[in-house]
Amino acid sequence: MSADAGLNPLNLDLASVQQRIQTEVDRAIQRSIKGVEYISTSGPSLGSTPKDILSVRGTMNLYHYRPIADEIYRVPILIVMATTNRGYILDMVPGQSFIEFLLKRGYDVYMLDWTAPKPEEKRLRMEDYVLDFVPDCVRRVQQDSGETDVTVIGYCFGGVLSLLYGSIFANGPMKNLICFTTPIDFREMKLFQNFADRRYFDVDHLIDSVGNVPPEMILSSFEMLRPASRAASQVQLWDNIWNDEFVKSYRMFDRWATDTLPLAGEYFRTITKDLMWDNKLYNDTMTVGGRKADIADIRVPILHAVAEHDHIVPYDAAKPLIQKIGSADKEEVMLKGGHVSLVAGANAIRRLWPKLDSWLCERSI
Amino acid sequence: MADKSNDPVALWQNMIGEMEKGFNAFANQAMASPQFSKVMNQVGGTTAGAQKQLADLMEKYLVSMNLPSRAQMVSMAERLASIEGQLNEIKALLQQVHGHTTAPNAAATPRPPRTKRPPSPPAGGGEQK
Repeated sequence: MSADAGLNPLNLDLASVQQRIQTEVDRAIQRSIKGVEYISTSGPSLGSTPKDILSVRGTMNLYHYRPIADEIYRVPILIVMATTNRGYILDMVPGQSFIEFLLKRGYDVYMLDWTAPKPEEKRLRMEDYVLDFVPDCVRRVQQDSGETDVTVIGYCFGGVLSLLYGSIFANGPMKNLICFTTPIDFREMKLFQNFADRRYFDVDHLIDSVGNVPPEMILSSFEMLRPASRAASQVQLWDNIWNDEFVKSYRMFDRWATDTLPLAGEYFRTITKDLMWDNKLYNDTMTVGGRKADIADIRVPILHAVAEHDHIVPYDAAKPLIQKIGSADKEEVMLKGGHVSLVAGANAIRRLWPKLDSWLCERSI
Repeated sequence: MADKSNDPVALWQNMIGEMEKGFNAFANQAMASPQFSKVMNQVGGTTAGAQKQLADLMEKYLVSMNLPSRAQMVSMAERLASIEGQLNEIKALLQQVHGHTTAPNAAATPRPPRTKRPPSPPAGGGEQK
């Protein structure tokens, strides 16, 4: 055995180990400094792309984002946000905003966003969303833009609302439909199915007791799908707290994820009974306010973007959308990422946004 | 740079990742059982019932103290919101009327023309990946 091997039995590159130790010491110091900064400061300001409020009616808010391109496509876009979450996931910060991306690419963008329904809005039913809020926003977009055609983009449950709207108003004015991670076969949302098992889950008792479903309950049901992830993400935050970019991104996503909205009681009752229990959208038996809502009646071009690692809407729950929809011009695209990283963050910037632009631009003239 | 298999920080991060995956998988398996659903919903149902009873009790207490209840405050807030909404509608109507009676340049910020065409495909063809 040589003298060197005796001093260094693992045959490590000592210079690199020394450098690694130095880096870790620097990071440990930075963690202490940045840790204090983290506690004493608020996160970045989100959803700041300039916009005008076109309409506010209780929980419903319709925004128009101010165009920034010199020339825009003829067909405006209406984004329908999921009723459980805030729309600023699509408008995080400059450079990481889907809205800003669309504006820069020359689209005219409107968003139907939701605020927490008030206690007296517990009576809002599925028909209020599908036959009133969405059509009202479409009408206002038509009025404001001066165009008859509208492209509708729905995210998660916003996609379900868009599909129900498109099925019932199959003769227009929706020109294109884009859905992000939209469930159709609710049997395949296995854990949610178990949480809402009709033998044990008394939805009527819950709604009659609480009115609107509290946001804490919605948040816990999402977090229960990956119970260790919150703790693990906090360890990850501490590991990376020296890294400003990581912290900024963590704060943005964490704030959004915990900023869950309550759900109107009657609306939740219908979701549970018609979709979770009876799977009516998949079984082609869904009705809203007595009107049949069959997605086979939708004939407009559709793009459905799904995420490979979506733990909230598993692929099997989203897959039948393209199979069942009546459109001839239809495409499903599966991209790397999860339920949220599909639409926001670095992954979305590289994958979904350019794909959506290349699909939509030729259908927006 | 140190080999990843020797790097304690990389090992630590890897261990956290594996623990997270393992615990999530284990918990998901446990939560998929009907027993879990039964217990979870029993606890949830009891909590919801207790919340309702507490709310009813508070309502009675506020009445006895001659204080407005939450429902009354909410109703007042609703009326205010409705008045604000009507004011906004009136404001919008006034702006419309004003816009019709004055010169066109008094209208809101001009919008860009809706004449944009899709960019022509690159010479080699193909789609963005």
